[in-house]
Amino acid sequence: MSNTMLKAAAGFILLALLLAIPKQVESPYALHMMILLFLSISMGQSWNILGGFAGQYSVGHAAYFGVGAYATMMLMQARQVPPWIGAWAGMVLVVAVALAIGSICFRLRGPYFVLASIAVAEILRLSAINLTALTNGAEGILVTELPAFKLSERVLTDFSTKVPFYYIGLSLALLTIGVTYGVQHSKLGYFFQAIREDQDAAHSLGISISLYKNIALVISAVLTSLAGAYYGIYVGFVDPPTVLGLDLSVQIMLICIIGGMGTLWGPVLGALVLVPMSEALRSNLVTDLLVKVGLVNADSKVGVFLKENLAHAHVLLYGILVVLVILFMPDGLMGFVKKLARPRKQEVA
Amino acid sequence: MPILEINHVSKFFGGLAAVSDVSFSVEAGSIMGLIGPNGAGKTTLFNCITGYYPPSRGEVFFHGRRMNGLDPDKVCMLGMVRTWQKVRPLARLSVVDNVMVGALAHTSSLRTARALAMDQLRVVGLDHRADFTAGGLPIGERKKLEVARALATRPKLLLLDEVMGGLNPAESAEIIQLILDIKQQGLTQMVIEHDMKAIMRISDRIVVLSSGEKLMEGTPQEVVTNPDVITAYLGESHA
Repeated sequence: MSNTMLKAAAGFILLALLLAIPKQVESPYALHMMILLFLSISMGQSWNILGGFAGQYSVGHAAYFGVGAYATMMLMQARQVPPWIGAWAGMVLVVAVALAIGSICFRLRGPYFVLASIAVAEILRLSAINLTALTNGAEGILVTELPAFKLSERVLTDFSTKVPFYYIGLSLALLTIGVTYGVQHSKLGYFFQAIREDQDAAHSLGISISLYKNIALVISAVLTSLAGAYYGIYVGFVDPPTVLGLDLSVQIMLICIIGGMGTLWGPVLGALVLVPMSEALRSNLVTDLLVKVGLVNADSKVGVFLKENLAHAHVLLYGILVVLVILFMPDGLMGFVKKLARPRKQEVA
Repeated sequence: MPILEINHVSKFFGGLAAVSDVSFSVEAGSIMGLIGPNGAGKTTLFNCITGYYPPSRGEVFFHGRRMNGLDPDKVCMLGMVRTWQKVRPLARLSVVDNVMVGALAHTSSLRTARALAMDQLRVVGLDHRADFTAGGLPIGERKKLEVARALATRPKLLLLDEVMGGLNPAESAEIIQLILDIKQQGLTQMVIEHDMKAIMRISDRIVVLSSGEKLMEGTPQEVVTNPDVITAYLGESHA
């Protein structure tokens, strides 16, 4: 069997497994983890198109996530617009926001672009806090009930379990992977990467820098806004710090950087590592594991100390792990895997 | 008929005139050499022609069309492409991908672009490096890659900025042959070069710049025998 056929077969089996999971697994916690995974893949993959391929390190992607989330939730709460229509409104709005941001930030290069992207996202966060009439300010927007999803009067789902969210998340993750594949295998991917590698050289080869940077931004922003809308309806609540905060922007970036920028599977790998890791640290699974394997006695001073404090330190540990990965795997996990698979890079001696 | 006309072009940086009132024209199908001591304004003139700097004064006409104010990508699409003195490979892309970026200026099909890119790599003799990472090439091959990538955009005028700089004599000889081959195919070229022997051999006409001003213009023979040129290069005592 050829390599491509093997890959296709593996992909098909994996997809069948993913489709079957909700039929077999009933634990809401397991489904919740899968949903978080899909969300992270979507966010990382969206950032990848602008940051990984076009080399424009936006640290303000929360802006697009937040606009998508807020637009969907606001329309649902104020006008009873169902989210599958509201998300489209979010996408249209986010294109406008992205082009406005692009026209300002793309005049700048390197670190100045990074700073500008942070600033713009902060402007949106502060606006969401202060425009109370529109956004309900710091209190956020709560939507407890989603309208049932009907197809010609037949109710397909009423969103009472996590299963529909699982399938929406899976579709979203597949969509972002598919879009990235499409970008990678077209003129766009080549132009984005040329801009990333050397903007002036790209310019001399007939590539309109501002046009292609804005195309990368719009694709990236639209996908991020979909992830935001998905987050909003899944959690049922949005407020400025969670969907527009700098934390979120950094988190989106990290999925891609740790997994491997500018690669198709990097963000998937990044999400596969970061989601369980952050969950394990948060719920103190590490202490439980240490106790279980007998390294630490649960009743000893150390055990008690870990039990009480490790969960609080999860952000710290997360940070340390991130630093280690960046130090020792500069091309992300994907680069590391590739190096293992093919130890000698093709280079002229 | 001139393909490129440069009319009284000046470029000021603050009070400094990097290029000062330079005029000349390049005949279609010819090779124009551009020489001058370091800091004479050769690369600045290239930047003014290809849209990286707008000229402070004067005009650039390409095929009779005024080029002032056009961005580099538009300049390229109109058929004028340059290489860089300090080579700028798209380092993490493969050699063939680098050239494909050039070819994609006039096709959207990756398959066509790849075929065109391989053709150009054969022209410059880099086809055996197609799948290597561009950033890992030695300098001689990087210079050839610059030329292949520029040729892939299908230019009518190719501007070469010191493609022989830093090369050994054998590599330089290859590049000279390449430039002459390209000329055979009817492509107009403008070449900045420090290697006098090389520039004498390939150029139909030569423009000499010194301190931003045009010192003289003529055939290679006229240039080497001109006392002003010798003074500019070697100082008063040698004239």
